[in-house]
Amino acid sequence: MMLVRVGGAILLLGGFLLWPAPATIREKLFSERERNWWAFQKPVRRAIPQLSDPRWRAHPIDAFLKKALDEKGLTPAPPADRRTLIRRAWLDLIGLVPPPDVVEAFVNDPAPDAWEKQIDRLLASPHYGERWGRHWLDVARYADSWGHIHDDDNPNAWRYRDYVIQSFNQDKPYDRFVREQLAGDELDQGAGYDAVIATGFHRIGPRVLFREKQNPHYRYDYIDDMIATTSRAFLGLTVACARCHDHKFDPVSQMDYYRMAAVFFPFIDYDHPLAPAEEAVAAEKLRTTLEGKIRPLREQIRKIEEPYRRAAFEERLKTFPEDIQLAVRTPEQQRTPGQNLLAAQVLSVRAAGMRIPPLSDVDREERSRLDTELRELTRQLPRRFEVAAGIRDGDYRFTPDGPGDEPVPGTTAKRIKVDFEGSFVPRPGQPYEPPPLYFPPLSEPGKGTLVEPGFLSVITGGGPARIPTPTNGRLSSGRRRALAEWIASADNPLTARVMVNRIWHHHFGRGLVASPSNFGRLGGLPSHPELLGWLATEFVRQGWRMKAIHRLILTSQTYQMTASFQLPANSESDPNNVYLWRFPMRRVEAEIVRDLILATSGQLNPQAGGPPFFPSLPASVHEEVKRVGRWILTKEEPSTWGRSVFSYWKRARKHPMFEVFDQPDTMVSCERRNITTVPTQALTLLNSEFVLLQSQHFAARVRHAAGPSPDGQIRTAYQVALSRNPSSREMADNLQFLEQQRAHHGVTPDGDPHLLALTDLCNVILNLNEFLYVQ
Amino acid sequence: MSNDATPDRNTGYLSRRDLLFQAGEGVGGLALAYLLNQDGLLAAGGCESVRGIQSAHAPKPGHWKPRAKNVISLFMCGGVSHIDTFDPKPALDKYHGQPLPGEGDVQVQQGYPGPIMRSPYKFRKYGRAGMDVSEIFPHMATMVDELALIRSAVGRSNDHSISHFEWNTGALIPGSPSYGAWIAYGLGTENQNLPAFVVIHDHRGGPFNGPNNWGAGYLPAGYQGTVFRSTGDPILDLRPPAALVTPEQQRRRLDHLLRLNQQHEERFPGSSDLAARIASYELAYRMQSCAPEAVNLAQESEETKRLYGLENPATEPFGRQCLLARRLVERGVRFVQLWSGAYVNDTVDTWDAHNSIIDNHGQHAREVDQPITGLLADLKRRGLLEETLVIWHTEFGRMPISQRGVGRDHNPNAFSFWMAGAGIQGGQIIGESDEFGYKVARQPVSVFDFHATVLHLMGIDHKRLTYFFNGRHMRLTDVHGEVIPQIGGAAAATSG
Repeated sequence: MMLVRVGGAILLLGGFLLWPAPATIREKLFSERERNWWAFQKPVRRAIPQLSDPRWRAHPIDAFLKKALDEKGLTPAPPADRRTLIRRAWLDLIGLVPPPDVVEAFVNDPAPDAWEKQIDRLLASPHYGERWGRHWLDVARYADSWGHIHDDDNPNAWRYRDYVIQSFNQDKPYDRFVREQLAGDELDQGAGYDAVIATGFHRIGPRVLFREKQNPHYRYDYIDDMIATTSRAFLGLTVACARCHDHKFDPVSQMDYYRMAAVFFPFIDYDHPLAPAEEAVAAEKLRTTLEGKIRPLREQIRKIEEPYRRAAFEERLKTFPEDIQLAVRTPEQQRTPGQNLLAAQVLSVRAAGMRIPPLSDVDREERSRLDTELRELTRQLPRRFEVAAGIRDGDYRFTPDGPGDEPVPGTTAKRIKVDFEGSFVPRPGQPYEPPPLYFPPLSEPGKGTLVEPGFLSVITGGGPARIPTPTNGRLSSGRRRALAEWIASADNPLTARVMVNRIWHHHFGRGLVASPSNFGRLGGLPSHPELLGWLATEFVRQGWRMKAIHRLILTSQTYQMTASFQLPANSESDPNNVYLWRFPMRRVEAEIVRDLILATSGQLNPQAGGPPFFPSLPASVHEEVKRVGRWILTKEEPSTWGRSVFSYWKRARKHPMFEVFDQPDTMVSCERRNITTVPTQALTLLNSEFVLLQSQHFAARVRHAAGPSPDGQIRTAYQVALSRNPSSREMADNLQFLEQQRAHHGVTPDGDPHLLALTDLCNVILNLNEFLYVQ
Repeated sequence: MSNDATPDRNTGYLSRRDLLFQAGEGVGGLALAYLLNQDGLLAAGGCESVRGIQSAHAPKPGHWKPRAKNVISLFMCGGVSHIDTFDPKPALDKYHGQPLPGEGDVQVQQGYPGPIMRSPYKFRKYGRAGMDVSEIFPHMATMVDELALIRSAVGRSNDHSISHFEWNTGALIPGSPSYGAWIAYGLGTENQNLPAFVVIHDHRGGPFNGPNNWGAGYLPAGYQGTVFRSTGDPILDLRPPAALVTPEQQRRRLDHLLRLNQQHEERFPGSSDLAARIASYELAYRMQSCAPEAVNLAQESEETKRLYGLENPATEPFGRQCLLARRLVERGVRFVQLWSGAYVNDTVDTWDAHNSIIDNHGQHAREVDQPITGLLADLKRRGLLEETLVIWHTEFGRMPISQRGVGRDHNPNAFSFWMAGAGIQGGQIIGESDEFGYKVARQPVSVFDFHATVLHLMGIDHKRLTYFFNGRHMRLTDVHGEVIPQIGGAAAATSG
């Protein structure tokens, strides 16, 4: 067991020590069997099966699907009715309920392309990006705070969130989306500020941001986070498993891991100014000049205050036990070794802030004069630009002190020692040399093996990657750019497949590969390999446009089947509906539960984008939250009723309503969400202030639209919430319930008993299975 | 006992059994609804344990039949000094005021290392084994024959936050499931009317890290610890505001909801998800009456309340937590975690005795000593101690050297915790720290060994309790862990 001792903290370096670390690292040769794994072969576009059935032969997806159904002897479901379809499409594509008039217009639209028009309308809606961008944010382990003990605010995370949503709305080609996130700062032509905002992909992972210099391995954990997220998100591989040893199941060697680590190794956390480069440079220059004048002023003030500090310390010393006072007062040469330790401990307290006694008139005047001068200079400091929290290449060995990094006087806090010139952010006009990565990590200088950047050897054939020299005199290594180009290429066997499978996964609740971020041996084999290959090539052929794939899927018969179809023979041979003989019904996710409630009550705040809002929290929960990081206590009111994707995502504390509905942990990339059913979900929907309040708004909306007739109210409530009319049996049951509740409320003193009864009904509707299921 | 979620080779999809775990109550929910109907349980019933229900949270058999059914974790937040409580070191008296010899650069968490500091407390030997306990725990000292004391715990960090993660989840960073969540996942719960895993805060507030200490990590959310609140209803949103919805209204709403949901379900015959969700409303309804009943101490006798120190303002808050713990395990709650210490003003409100051992530990020991002793005694006289594993633990110990002559800094290199109940062999001391209590001298016990031992005592083989996530069969003990061999308690065990 090896203890790594750095400064005040002692840590066994999690990853590095679980297995005995070899002293050297070398390429590993993989067997033919390993190289022949299906996911490492380029997707093949096979001929679309020719079928005779007119319903299934017209659409490529249907042809592949139906062929598989026929082979398995499964009978597909009939098409769903139009009401079901439009609701399905709205929930699926934008996560909102369709307004009743839109439903009616679609149901009665005789045009042959009514469905296609509906799909195009939804794909053109800004809500599309809010819904589908959120799926990507799961993969990108997005959060608004940094996690770990302090869980401080990441004040600019939202710019990355908005970038993702806008990219989906713009139908940005996926290969460009990949390049921007991995290396937006290294691309030749920027897309405005988008490209640097996109590097937030690497910056939104969890960070400790405390005593980082005493814990240099944190940086390796951040790089591990980048490798894990990048490889899962874009390649569907668990490369991070190879941090401590060769991957146990997939052909990914430890060398591959460290080559990829070398790609990220030059990174520094960097707040890209959202301003023209010349302006930013000029401002930085002015700041440096002014700070050069401010520093000596501060030093002069410190000198004036020094005797007063000393006096304050003398007072403070009197509060310590006698043996300590004695130790401090004993002249240094005469102290015992133990007294030396005691004295050092107490003297170190002097560094900490102490209230100083009032200054003499002369000193006060002098300090006041200096203060005025200081204020004047400070006033001249250039205003800070808006920034995007991202990364760029630089030299971490010159990182300025962060929180907790201030050295305690006299301690030997171990820091990276550099005996050469350099700068954290590369300086224009000076050559840029990325800092070297050695294996094993944190090797003493000259002891380890230098690792060159490279990509997965099972695909590339091994060896370091060729890294083109950055053009335009860019002060960057070009390594991430090279990785991005390798990933965002039609030649990469994984990239297109992984993304079309994610899209399929969200439309049907399961991917053609059931494990969207793991195409390795512990992942699933594709249920329809030929379809997956065809879709991947089609995705590239359509210019990596995601909306083209949505359109393709939604126009298929496969997507339009009913969910309520039942056939014992089918259930017998394919109980889990793997081959999609009917539409798979599923509950919507946490954010959509809340959004649907707001859309139904008519209270959804349309404000989109920008800094996150804080959803209301019960005061008792706030008590647990408020001491760590940022949380603003808000009320249930329209300003907190925006779409859930824009709410504050706090790593150390999920919002209770989202938590209970399986919001994923944001420490690592999430490929698919758990969907559980537990009693506390029922409690939230029955009793929480939020849902009860929205039930009231829903009731008021219904009464306003339908007038006083109970029949009309029930019909309107069903149309608004469920996109359909009630059956006669439901109508009778609901009328009876309304009457019963009205009679009950009639005996309570406050409120309109009719409205209270309607509120009860509205609350019941928001709790219906039908309300929360895509069916 | 795993989710076995490795997708099927041929279909690429999860088996029906996997869905039970991965997709929540899935198939189980169908059976659940069926059984609820069969037993007439959908009608309002009592709060006694409901058994024989097939759901993801239903009781599941372990790998063998253990004596222990439930766990009570008493977590002392802030770091209890082992050398002032259960691990006396005469060398500290001998070398008081001198530097710690032979250690070179002593690692402290704050500032400079000080000289060796003797314990301000006197120790005496108690019980059959002659276990040393300091005068700080006069009540606990009477129970030593029930305790297996481990004096050789060793952690990997001297940071509160990291160490809390370590001793609750095994990992050093957030995002991994807590050991309570693993046990809830592995064994389910005996009482569907209450959460499987309940957490009760210190009366001053929550600990370092907050809910991540009892989170479900990558396990389904239902296995996480549920915080029982100290005021009002124990569970968030347990009941609607009384002014808005009366209990009769609530019942009528639920009846109406059930009626409409069943009509809907008729259109989707055989959908286990829908059936599970229907059943979850009935369980929620039962929880509404059963959770308040579980925390209502009015039924307890005066004698019992005194046993837990409820009549004394200093011991009342933790006494209440301990009494609640007994009531919860009595009702079949699988895992209860009580916290002593709150992250408010950490050197005052937790055991984090940087400023003064006497002031800090004096206060916190007084608060928990009688309540914990009362809990052990009460469990024992009710015959519950045999089937309840009680764990008293903390995130690290404290330094043999002083901070400014009166306090002690963090020490993860050697510290003490104890286990009781579950048929373990009491009155024994396991492991040993060095002459100064600075490092472990014999039989180091890591968090993985600790978790392996707890699972073992609960009838679970820590190597076989897995959950498939992100390409790996994850384990509470990762790739480590040895059961503490002399712990005992598995006498009833036959490997299965």
